[in-house]
Amino acid sequence: MRSSISSFKERLRLPRLFFRRPSREEQIHGGPPLEFERPIPLAPWRGMTVVVILIVIGTTVTWELYCRSLGYAGTLNDNEDLWTLRRRAVTPESLVIVGDSRGWFDVDLDEFQKGLGKRPIQLASGGMCGFPVLDDLAKDESFHGTIICSIVPGLFFAPPGTPPFERGEKAVKRFHSQTPAQRVSEYLAMPLEEHVAYLKPDDLSLEALLSHLPIPNRSGALVPPRLPPYFQTVDRERRARMWEKCAEPGSELAKRIQQIWIPLFTPPAAPTYIPREVFMATMGEAVQARFRDIVAAVEKIRARGGKIVFVHFPHSGGLKELEDKITPRQQSWDPLLQMTHAPGIYYSDYPDLSGFNCPEWSHLTAGDSVEFSKRLVSHLRMALKM
Amino acid sequence: MLFNSLTFVVFFVVVVTLYWSLRGWELRKNLLVVASYIFYGAWNPPFAALLFSTTAMDFWLGRQIRKAQDRHRKRAWLVASVCMNLSMLGFFKYGNFLLQNFQWFLSRVGIIYQPPHLDILLPVGISFYTFHSLSYTLDIYRGVLQPTRSLRDFVLAVSFFPQLVAGPIVRAGDFLPQLQHPPRLKTNQFLWGLALMTLGLFEKIVLADTLLSGPADRIFDYPGPLVAMDSWAGVLAFAGQIFCDFAGYSICAIGAALALGFHLKDNFRFPYAAIGFSDFWRRWHISLSTFLRDYLYIPLGGNQVRPFRAALNLVIVMFLGGLWHGAAWTFVVWGLLHGFYLVIERIFRIFFEQKPWAGTLPVRLLAGFATCGAVCIAWVFFRASDFTIASRMLGGMFGQHPHGDAILATRELLQIGIVTAGLISVHWAMRDNTFETAVMRLPTWTVTAIWSVMAVAIIFTQGSSNAFIYFQF
Repeated sequence: MRSSISSFKERLRLPRLFFRRPSREEQIHGGPPLEFERPIPLAPWRGMTVVVILIVIGTTVTWELYCRSLGYAGTLNDNEDLWTLRRRAVTPESLVIVGDSRGWFDVDLDEFQKGLGKRPIQLASGGMCGFPVLDDLAKDESFHGTIICSIVPGLFFAPPGTPPFERGEKAVKRFHSQTPAQRVSEYLAMPLEEHVAYLKPDDLSLEALLSHLPIPNRSGALVPPRLPPYFQTVDRERRARMWEKCAEPGSELAKRIQQIWIPLFTPPAAPTYIPREVFMATMGEAVQARFRDIVAAVEKIRARGGKIVFVHFPHSGGLKELEDKITPRQQSWDPLLQMTHAPGIYYSDYPDLSGFNCPEWSHLTAGDSVEFSKRLVSHLRMALKM
Repeated sequence: MLFNSLTFVVFFVVVVTLYWSLRGWELRKNLLVVASYIFYGAWNPPFAALLFSTTAMDFWLGRQIRKAQDRHRKRAWLVASVCMNLSMLGFFKYGNFLLQNFQWFLSRVGIIYQPPHLDILLPVGISFYTFHSLSYTLDIYRGVLQPTRSLRDFVLAVSFFPQLVAGPIVRAGDFLPQLQHPPRLKTNQFLWGLALMTLGLFEKIVLADTLLSGPADRIFDYPGPLVAMDSWAGVLAFAGQIFCDFAGYSICAIGAALALGFHLKDNFRFPYAAIGFSDFWRRWHISLSTFLRDYLYIPLGGNQVRPFRAALNLVIVMFLGGLWHGAAWTFVVWGLLHGFYLVIERIFRIFFEQKPWAGTLPVRLLAGFATCGAVCIAWVFFRASDFTIASRMLGGMFGQHPHGDAILATRELLQIGIVTAGLISVHWAMRDNTFETAVMRLPTWTVTAIWSVMAVAIIFTQGSSNAFIYFQF
């Protein structure tokens, strides 16, 4: 009698994998039979599974401990699903913060609640162009609340198709099309992210680790600039606070991020496949179109009784110099206020808002953000006539 | 619900635990029906109603086909089933495409017509479950399948969650017999199922999403001309991505089904080691190619007709196969290109198959790499969103843009090179084998190590639940 193994191996050698040769009655035009069974490889599966589980647990725990030893701790990852959770919390009369990472880091929700009487909903995000969010709120017929819009001209005027604009668009799209499964996944992910330190896609995912390999690029390769590493904690209200490691005076992390901002904020060269004049003209038209769209969105919100105030949060060092050069106030901030007739608060216009230091040139430390918010509130009350 | 999401992990653990805890077979089947509809409804609950109505109609039509006394009536009921299924597919998937082409056609004859834009949301996996359901009435009509008496069983056969939204296309005739008797919980089968799920998730999360999708997307989305190296790298990245994405889903589906005691057939069999295009289609998306073979190619006459007609049959089948993948002419060109490849291969076979050198190793290797190269060229049309991008990519690949841009980092080029070389090597090493034989032959510690590395890599990758490419079909 043949052993079950030899019979099994024989079955594996059949030309039609896994299937016994079909009887004539079972065949559909010479196709596979109606009944079949997959062979299960003979192996000590129980023992193997136990070993695999032990290896996975051991490696994961070791990796977690190593990451904690580097200073990482559990915190939420900011993604479209977390953003959508907050967007869902917007009611017709809400106080909403939209825009980029400066409006995200530099606002303390408690101070705003104390000073403005309402707890704001944080919809600003890192590297995000706030216009798609502003436009979405303008299209929401029920919304007649207050919007505090953070302005970094290089991001707010980013044309469609660029990463900042797409980031805003993706968030809005997720809000309108989030599936129940995505919602459940976010609720399941939050407790994990709050307790597991290595869940940091910016720094500790396989992709991030590979991207940090010191491999030089070909000369002339148009490789996109690197994004900043992880340097903020986020809570369930999407309040971002600068990581202490970055906030320390003279921190290596802050210096590294400073050097990342410069190429990231430098406008890309005109593409090689479009004449420079044509490209510049297209960009100019895109900026003018954005001004028109902003005016239209602001008018819609105002017509329903809503309010909006633009805020330029502090920046410093080499990044301030670069921004002042490529997006001078006279060409971005001033026309924005003139066209929209909306109030605006440019931090450097007010002595009490000036003088804050951004360790990595773009954001306030968690401690400074509280003090800054406390001082900003009185200006906001005045601007919003509250 | 995506296999690579936390929701699915919890869902699967709950379903598997409940399933094997329940004693009654009927109860277990009811549980699977409920679970499958939750799985599907987790995308868009109203579409679960559409899924049920299609299934219920085919159940009823299947009985009518069986009951019909004469061939004409049988055929009439079958036509009703085919029309119902294809019209559903046509409306949701091809509605806007047809309107746009109708508008274009009218403009050619001088009539200006502005069709309304139908804001149609494509039900996820409609192409797959339509074929699951359609196979039932087709097989009853052909007399190879008895209609089931249980609507619940048929609902389960169509909606069984592992294969519901992205295949394999499981024919009712393959699944219904498995609902006759309750499977027993076999530890080895269950654990092998989990190992297959790990492999599938590794392919999807680590290889497709982390190592390949980024460069592929950047290359195909780049609006300017690219140098040859970047163009080829982008195409190879996409070739690897689509395989790992789709084969990964299929392996997950097979593994999940095994863990529940069901047996699904292979959907991929190391296609990048195919020698010739007919061999490729015996290895790529096998459930679709056999579906088209049995229900379209053979009824058209297959190869039992004159050579020209047989060639035309191939082109028709591949044209429809291309259209099945998406409502765009780029998919049609992809299908036609494969039809053209198959015809050329037939001609080659007529002239050269009997030559003594035809079966030698160098010739087989050469044919294998030529097949792989031609398949990659066809992928350009599959991935490009329009013909401008496709032609620019092909231009770049064949050296028309020596002064084009280079946009990939050296690290990305290395990633693509290593994964592609690894993938092709594995396919060639395994081309006449199966995972099962490989596992049998390898030492236990090697299999354990590979399984562990894949599981650890999945955890370290921290995937972001990117949708599987084939969901859009």
